[in-house]
Amino acid sequence: MDTSPPVQEKSISSSSDLGLSCRGLRVGDAWGWGVVLLTLLILLPLAVVILHLGKEGTEWGHIVKTVLAGYLRNTLILTAGVILLVLVMGLPSAWLVSAYDFPGRKVLSWLLILPLAIPTYVGAFVYSQGLESAIPLLVWIRTNLGVDAFVRAELIVRYGLLILMMSGVLYPYIYLAARSAFTLQGRTVIEAARCLGQGPSRVFWTVALPMARPAVVAGTALVVMEVINDYGAVHFFGVPTLTEGIFRTWFGMGDKTSALRLAAIVMLVVAGLLTLEQALRGRARFVEAEASGIPLSRKRLRGVEAVGAVLLCLTPLLVGFFYPVGRLGDWAWENLTSDRSVSFPALTALGRGFALASSTALVATLLGAIFVYAVRLRENPLRRFCGRVAGLGYATPGAVIAVGVMVLLGAIDRSHGTGGPLLSGTLGAIGFAYLVRFFAIPLQFARAGMDRLGRSIEEASRLLGQAPLATFRRVTLPLLQGPLWAAGMLVFVDILKELPLTLVLRPANFETLATTAFSLASEARLQACAVPSLLIVATGAVGLMIMNRWLMVPRSHD
Amino acid sequence: MNCDRFLSLLVLGGLSFGSVRAAEEITIYTQRHYAFDEELHAMFTANTGIKVNVVKANADELMVRIKEEGDNTPADLFMTADGGTLDRARVAGLLQPILSQDVLNRVAASLRDADGNWIAMTQRGRVIVYSPDRVKPEELSTYEDLANPRWRGRLLVRSSTSSYNQSLLATIIAADGSEKAAEWAKAVRENMARPPQGSDRDQAKAVAAGLGDVAIMNTYYVGLLEGSENQADRDAAAKIKVFFPNQDGRGAHVNISGVGILKASKKVDLATKFIEFVLSDEAQSLIPNKTYEYPVVTTVPWSEQQERWGKFKADPVALATLGEFNAEAVRIFNEAGWE
Repeated sequence: MDTSPPVQEKSISSSSDLGLSCRGLRVGDAWGWGVVLLTLLILLPLAVVILHLGKEGTEWGHIVKTVLAGYLRNTLILTAGVILLVLVMGLPSAWLVSAYDFPGRKVLSWLLILPLAIPTYVGAFVYSQGLESAIPLLVWIRTNLGVDAFVRAELIVRYGLLILMMSGVLYPYIYLAARSAFTLQGRTVIEAARCLGQGPSRVFWTVALPMARPAVVAGTALVVMEVINDYGAVHFFGVPTLTEGIFRTWFGMGDKTSALRLAAIVMLVVAGLLTLEQALRGRARFVEAEASGIPLSRKRLRGVEAVGAVLLCLTPLLVGFFYPVGRLGDWAWENLTSDRSVSFPALTALGRGFALASSTALVATLLGAIFVYAVRLRENPLRRFCGRVAGLGYATPGAVIAVGVMVLLGAIDRSHGTGGPLLSGTLGAIGFAYLVRFFAIPLQFARAGMDRLGRSIEEASRLLGQAPLATFRRVTLPLLQGPLWAAGMLVFVDILKELPLTLVLRPANFETLATTAFSLASEARLQACAVPSLLIVATGAVGLMIMNRWLMVPRSHD
Repeated sequence: MNCDRFLSLLVLGGLSFGSVRAAEEITIYTQRHYAFDEELHAMFTANTGIKVNVVKANADELMVRIKEEGDNTPADLFMTADGGTLDRARVAGLLQPILSQDVLNRVAASLRDADGNWIAMTQRGRVIVYSPDRVKPEELSTYEDLANPRWRGRLLVRSSTSSYNQSLLATIIAADGSEKAAEWAKAVRENMARPPQGSDRDQAKAVAAGLGDVAIMNTYYVGLLEGSENQADRDAAAKIKVFFPNQDGRGAHVNISGVGILKASKKVDLATKFIEFVLSDEAQSLIPNKTYEYPVVTTVPWSEQQERWGKFKADPVALATLGEFNAEAVRIFNEAGWE
């Protein structure tokens, strides 16, 4: 039976020679134009940044001579420290909940993702109070060991706490990646190794870990991006990184050109990391012929071993969730019961922030799914290129995207003369900026989902006479519900936590939980700040739990 | 998933994005982030019926936004917590002169732009705060003296990203010259108990906790700690004292929080009304007790705390100088390694 499907019929023929030939596009090719236009739309604000790479601002020489080395050093120390700790926190816990059974395993397996609901600036705010409790120790060191020892100890305590805090809220990226790799991908091989009598540590080091490597590397890439782009936490702790350097150069020195050049360098570094990740992953892509939804069979742990496993899983949770939430709860309670309790912006305003986050997440997820579908519909170099660069916003600091969007919309607004405000300063503008910033998430999830799905079902639908759009709507979309829900929830939580972009672009009188929490935190008003912070964490936690549910039943429709 | 339902959701969402405009309203882009400002805006609305829209963000980010929005900007007023920043907005051509002589005459000539492009609404001293347990007031004298090695490991001050520090250094450049200012910044950095971090409030608390003995910070943070809803803050406030430096010389550095009408504003009358209100006795008399800043209208009495801190001599340097030396100050901070 010769049934070469229509999808492949007109595929990769001529355009595989050169990356960006016009041959990738034809007049009347609506899907192709859609992919290209959406990519351009998303890249426009970023292009503003990238175009500055070659320009030399007035202060560039000064920056290189004075502060650049410090920014680089801090960025490196922080990144290296966090990578090390997130692996220590994320891998063993993921392995334990995947390969073993012990009392509390089920609860722990979803509790372990909750630190993602805590924005780094909230974590920093809580932990910087922890810094205060180290003061007596530091004072003791100064009295007994002298000023030099004191200054060194202070540095160690501060960098240490910052790295600990950031790892505590970021390890879930590793945990999530490793957990799904262990449970779903490595099942047969791990079980085979066990049957062959390999001990638990040998199974972990020689079978499970190497198999999970691509997923773990991908998770690490996400962590690195979060660390490099962080703005609030490093500021609280007084550890200026490259990203803070961008703002200092721009706003402190008024040198936009040099600032954007720094931003472009950050983007390049991250793009380099992503390429490295691709290279490291290499051909090691796991075709999940076996992803039948049957998880790895778990070995039962008893006695001391079970207690040890529980403790090991509880440690990262303590650092990344229970301690911060506990402190926040304390402060919130103090605030609510105090006669001087602070009131908050009307709930309606917070409701608007919530509505914005959920509608943007919905749009971003659906657009992402359609985009990946269109890219896959006819894979040519142009579309593949679009698919790769459309997620670049994730590697760009939020405030830089904000300015790119501002410049872009300002130009459009000015082009049709005066007549009141048009695009800039609207909720639409801020929603667009979120889309640029977080588009990578639905792209990743949709791509992974569609890869897992394979093409056969879609091709069957096409053969049965359904147009591509109808196939997407009636076949692909329903089958991708799981990953798309997960992506949507992650975008939602990310927007809820988002700060620098929101601060710069928001319309008048627009407060989100994040902006409220941040302005109270920057005034160091612990008790007052705790309430909106807890609300972010609670809403985020609900979102994450929904995400987790969809992740753990990857193919409930089979 | 139902596509039609999704589409109607999108349309509804799009509709709710547009907002209904009231008859009379003004929009303020402000750097000030104090809860009291909301009270103040509400009072203005109650008095005049004019609604106040607010965008709060970093002053320089707001300036970028105003430039990009150009003639279409919805903003009528630009409000900062630093005189230098405000004057940079004037230099950038973002402001227009306030025409009402009555408004301008509410404050001394030194507290407004020569052409009336901006005007101060509050004042704040940037002073030395110390622990009376470990430092005798006789040991304190000038900002310049904080560079002395005897303060090694004892000094606390926030990051150089703060416009408060940039403006302070600008006054030192103006008084002592760039070279001396650079030496000062370097020596002060070496004296710090910890690399700069946190807000002014954190510096005060660190002095109270014993991490350092002296801090450079704004006066009103001491007032805010005293009036805090948090017991620990109030305890910290009890352990520190305010010292006004350079009293035998040029005087202590006093900065302003101020406001200007944007060139692109189409509601100059309403905007002027707002400034008029902020400078009224009614509003000015609340400021010393709410934000613990100093009033700019001289007839308005100080708060109890401010009386307790005492009268002092203020550096008469022109506020425009702060803006003029801002870039230089940032460069010196970078060279000094003052993060």
